[in-house]
Amino acid sequence: MDWNQFLFVIFPYMALTLFVVVTVYRAIFRPFTISSLSSQLLERKQLFWGSISFHNGILIILLGHLLALLFPQSLVLWNSVPFRLYLLEVTGLVLALWSFVGVLILIVRRISVSNIRAVTQPTDMGVLLLLMLSVLSGIITATGYRFGSTWFTGVFSPYLWSILTFAPRPELVAPLPWTIQFHAFNFFILLAIFPFTRLIHIITYPLSYLFRPWQIVIWVREQRKQNEGRS
Amino acid sequence: MEVKNFDWNSLAGNFIKVVFLALILLFAYYTFGSPSSGSPAATGQEIFDAQCQSCHTIGGGNTVGPDLQGVLVRRDRDWVARFIASPDFVIAEGDPIAMELLEEFNGIEMPNRALTDEDVEFVLVFLEVQDSLTQAAEDLPTGNAAVGEKLFTGAKMLEGRGTPCMACHTVGSVGQFGGGNFGPDLTHVYGRYGEAGLTSAMQNISFPTMKNVYLGKALTAQEAADLLSFFDEAAILDGEDLAESSTNIFWGVGSAGALFLFIIMAFYWPRQSKNQTERLRNKADADSRRNS
Repeated sequence: MDWNQFLFVIFPYMALTLFVVVTVYRAIFRPFTISSLSSQLLERKQLFWGSISFHNGILIILLGHLLALLFPQSLVLWNSVPFRLYLLEVTGLVLALWSFVGVLILIVRRISVSNIRAVTQPTDMGVLLLLMLSVLSGIITATGYRFGSTWFTGVFSPYLWSILTFAPRPELVAPLPWTIQFHAFNFFILLAIFPFTRLIHIITYPLSYLFRPWQIVIWVREQRKQNEGRS
Repeated sequence: MEVKNFDWNSLAGNFIKVVFLALILLFAYYTFGSPSSGSPAATGQEIFDAQCQSCHTIGGGNTVGPDLQGVLVRRDRDWVARFIASPDFVIAEGDPIAMELLEEFNGIEMPNRALTDEDVEFVLVFLEVQDSLTQAAEDLPTGNAAVGEKLFTGAKMLEGRGTPCMACHTVGSVGQFGGGNFGPDLTHVYGRYGEAGLTSAMQNISFPTMKNVYLGKALTAQEAADLLSFFDEAAILDGEDLAESSTNIFWGVGSAGALFLFIIMAFYWPRQSKNQTERLRNKADADSRRNS
């Protein structure tokens, strides 16, 4: 067994299995554990700058990857006019950098705010670090190995389909530079740890968040104190 | 349904540790385990130039040792690999092919060059690329440079649905900020490979990164001809290194855009900065002032 076989065939299937089986198990038998456990009431300012930028950036980028997987030829067609290609690539890079700064803020917040540190589990930190590495390797790929939005359709669309249809073609990934291989492998790590960590909150697909007003977590205690003072 | 108090986090914590250790090992593997520069074929050529060239040619006829053109067609790949790695051993074994060669080349044994398995693989890849370059090109139809440019950018889809060249390559005249910088700059590729070499390279794609991407998606003769004449014209226009010099522009625009998004966020912070209690309190204060 060579490394490529392990990294891009065996591990992906292990990751996918864990992702599906444990997520379903947890959703059925531990429904109340599906949460990212908000820490907004402990620290609000850094969370705003980190969380909003990270989440919006990463969600749109993830959607982009998904579209490239589902409609590769449409993407090639869009990219066939150089201006549109540059527009797409630059938009991706903007979102990636936005998201990268966001995840860095979240990491700093986890380490430097003592209240947050107190409620931080190892997995919270691990998830943040893996996401940081994922975005970082993505940024390096987007700038150093242009133009990913087109070559993804020739390399990763067929590779990912080959995995999903149980006819793996890891040889597509084998000759790529290690940064890109890392970016792909890191995704499978995230997939594997998904059901064991706060990442699980993604399955609540809170689409209504996009349209509802901000939800602010409040201290009930403070309000009571205030009332007592007034009465 | 009873919700059991199961500690997911400690389970996952151990898992994370394992994953991190694995990651460190992976980093070490990739950092120290593979050569730092160049494509496999380029590394192979470096090794060939330094270690093999004094006795072997590729297509230049036999000298001290045999001409290696087409050696991977004549011989089994594993045999060649074994012979390059340890010729002394293969000869000592009395291998029939080795014996025959020894006789043909006046009993001069090939010295063991002490190449690692990895180096041998690089040399083999280099020889394979050379082979694909020197295969005689078929007679091509007449090419059209304008069509070639469309094939390059993807404006005209390749018949076999292969990925357009611009995904990874640039040619001086394409687009304001050039094509991709993943693969080599192709502005002067026509001059470097020559017509026959370039045609063959496009029709039998054997570069390691491209090989599997174009598997079953070969270019038609007409497409190769169109691209060929596009590359021919591009060399005259020049503008090499456009893609490489655009990298800073991408970084600049990307950073500016991200900064812009943070500035937009700043306008939303005042609304976010107060929690619901403070808002209610402020509102109550304002109401009481108005009523009093």
